[in-house]
Amino acid sequence: MVQVADRLFAALAVLRVVVTLNMLGLTLWRWQNFDRPAATLVVLAGLLVWTVVVLAASRVPARRTTWLMLADLAVAVGAMASTPWLKGEEFRATVPGFWVMGALLAWAVHWRWRGGLVAGTVLAVTDVAIRSELTQTNYGHIFLLLLGGTVVGYMCQSLQEMAAERARAEREAAAAAERTRLARAVHDGVLQVLGLVQRAGPEDRWDELGRLAAEQETRLRSLIHAQDTVDEHDRDPGGSDLSAALEALASRTVTVSTPGVRVPMAADRAAELVAAVRACLDNVRLHVGLDAPAWVLLEELGDRVAVSVRDEGPGFAEERLAQAEREGRLGVASSIRGRVAELGGTCSLVTGPGGTEWELEVPLSGSAGDGAAARGTEAR
Amino acid sequence: MSEQPIRVMVVDDHPMWRDAVERDLQAAGFDVVAVAADGAQALARFTAARPRVVVLDLQIPEPNGVEVTRRVLEADPAARVLVLSASGEQADVLEAVKAGATGYLVKSASKADLLDAVRRVAQGDTVFTPGLAGLVLGEFRRMTVPADADAGPAVPELTERETEVLRMVAKGMSYKQIAERLFISHRTVQNHVQNTLRKLQMHNRVELTRYAIEKGLDAD
Repeated sequence: MVQVADRLFAALAVLRVVVTLNMLGLTLWRWQNFDRPAATLVVLAGLLVWTVVVLAASRVPARRTTWLMLADLAVAVGAMASTPWLKGEEFRATVPGFWVMGALLAWAVHWRWRGGLVAGTVLAVTDVAIRSELTQTNYGHIFLLLLGGTVVGYMCQSLQEMAAERARAEREAAAAAERTRLARAVHDGVLQVLGLVQRAGPEDRWDELGRLAAEQETRLRSLIHAQDTVDEHDRDPGGSDLSAALEALASRTVTVSTPGVRVPMAADRAAELVAAVRACLDNVRLHVGLDAPAWVLLEELGDRVAVSVRDEGPGFAEERLAQAEREGRLGVASSIRGRVAELGGTCSLVTGPGGTEWELEVPLSGSAGDGAAARGTEAR
Repeated sequence: MSEQPIRVMVVDDHPMWRDAVERDLQAAGFDVVAVAADGAQALARFTAARPRVVVLDLQIPEPNGVEVTRRVLEADPAARVLVLSASGEQADVLEAVKAGATGYLVKSASKADLLDAVRRVAQGDTVFTPGLAGLVLGEFRRMTVPADADAGPAVPELTERETEVLRMVAKGMSYKQIAERLFISHRTVQNHVQNTLRKLQMHNRVELTRYAIEKGLDAD
C-alpha cells in the first residue's frame, strides 16, 4: 500500500515544516537562555539541513530506507543531548523541542505501532537522561511521546489495512462487471443462433430442433434477466424481485409480461405468489393440454400487485370447483385460493368457452396483512 | 400488397442473422434497399436509400438502436421502425418505443410473424407483443404518480378503455379477440393501441420540454 504511505509521508512533511518553524521561533524568543550562541547556531543549521534532506528523501518510497529512519532518530537524539551543553544544566525546553515529532511519526508510519513505541522510548530515555531533575510537565511530555507514537503507528496500520481491503473490493467488483459483460456477450451470441435455428423451423422439417432451440432461448432469456437484477441489486435487503421470479416461469408455451422494472417483495411472499401462479399454469397443462399456450401478466398497482394467468382452453363450470372442494379434493382451492388468502390478497376467476383467466391481487408488503386484504376486497 | 414493393432496411451487427432476415424479406417480395451493421452505417445508408421500414436490432455498435430510431424518424417522420431484439432488453425496448418505434418483435418470432409485422408496420399499424404491452402499462402507472400541479405541461394519461385494451394485449389476446370481447371493431382496437403509443411518445416530449425548461435551455 505505497499510496497510503505516500500520503502519510506527505502529511508528515507539512508537520515537519511546521515544527521546524516552531523550533526556530522559540529559539529566537528565548535567545538569552542560550550559553553558547555560536554553537547553537551551528546545531540549528545542522537541523535545518537535515530537515531538508529528510523531506526530499521521504518523497520517494525507495529512499525511505532503514538507514534514513535511523539517521533521523539519531539526529533528534543528538540535538536533544546537546541541550545541557548549549543551555547549561538548568534548562526547561530542549533545543529541538517539538521538532523530534518528525522522527517519531516517521517511525510510526514506517514501522507501525512498534516503530512508534521504539522511537518514543528512545526519545523519552534521552529526555530523562539529560535532565538534572524531572518535573511533572516533563513527565507529561514523555508520556504523550510514548502514547502518541504508538497510537499513530496503530492508526497507520489500520489505514493501510483498510486501503488494502478497499483495493481488493474494487478489483473484485471490476472483475464481476467484466464477467457479466462477457456472459452477456456469450449469451447474446447463443440467443442469435437459437433464434435462427428456430426460424428455420417447421418448413425445413427441423421441427424438433426448432422446438428445443425455442425452449433454450426462453430459458436463457429469463436467466439473463435474473442476472441483470442480481447485478444491480445484489445487496438489497428488501427481498426478492417478483418480476424476475415470474419471468423465470416463461417457457415455450408460457408468455410472461412484467412492468420491466424490479418489483420488490419479501422473498417468502414472492415465493408463495409464484407457487400460486405455478399452480394456475399446472391447471392449464392438466386441463387444456401440455402444448396449450398461457399468458402471465404482472402489474404493479401502488401497494398491491395483480397477477393474471390466462389460457385459451375450453373453460369449465365454476360449479365443478365448488364440487371438488366439497368432495375434499382441495387441489385448486388450496394451492391457489389458499395461498393468495394467506398473503392477504384476493382471487378472481373468469372462465368460459373463450378460455380461463385467474386474477390474483396481493398486497406488496405483509405487515399490512389484514388491512390490505380488506382494501383489496373493497376494490373489487 | 400494392404493386410497389415495400422498401426495407435491415440493421443488425450479426451477419448471419442479417443475411437470414434479408433472404426471408426478399423471398416474400420486399425490396431490401440497404443493410447496415452499426448505427453510423444505418444513419448514413438510411439517408441514401430512404426505406419505408427499418428492421432494427437495438444492440448494435454506436450509436445504439434507440438513438438510431430517434435520428431516423427525425430525418423522415413517414418512416417506420420495427425493433427486433434478441435478449429482451426491456429498458431499451421502452426507450426505442418512446423514441418513435411502432413495432417490437423478439428475434425468436417465426418467419411468418416477422413478415406480417413488417407488412403491418409499413401500413402504419402498431405491432405489440404482450411483453411490450406489459412494459408500457407499467410505464404509464409510474408516470401517473402525480407531479407538481404547476410543473408545466400536463402528462397525457390513458383512458379507461385504452388501459383495458392494453391489459388485454399484455395478456396475450389478439386484436380480433379483443374486438370480440369488447364488441368493438378491429380498427378501433388498433386505434386504441396506437393512441397509447402516441401518448407515450408525447409524454417523452413533455418530459424533454420540462427538462429543457428546468435547465434553462429554452431561455432567450
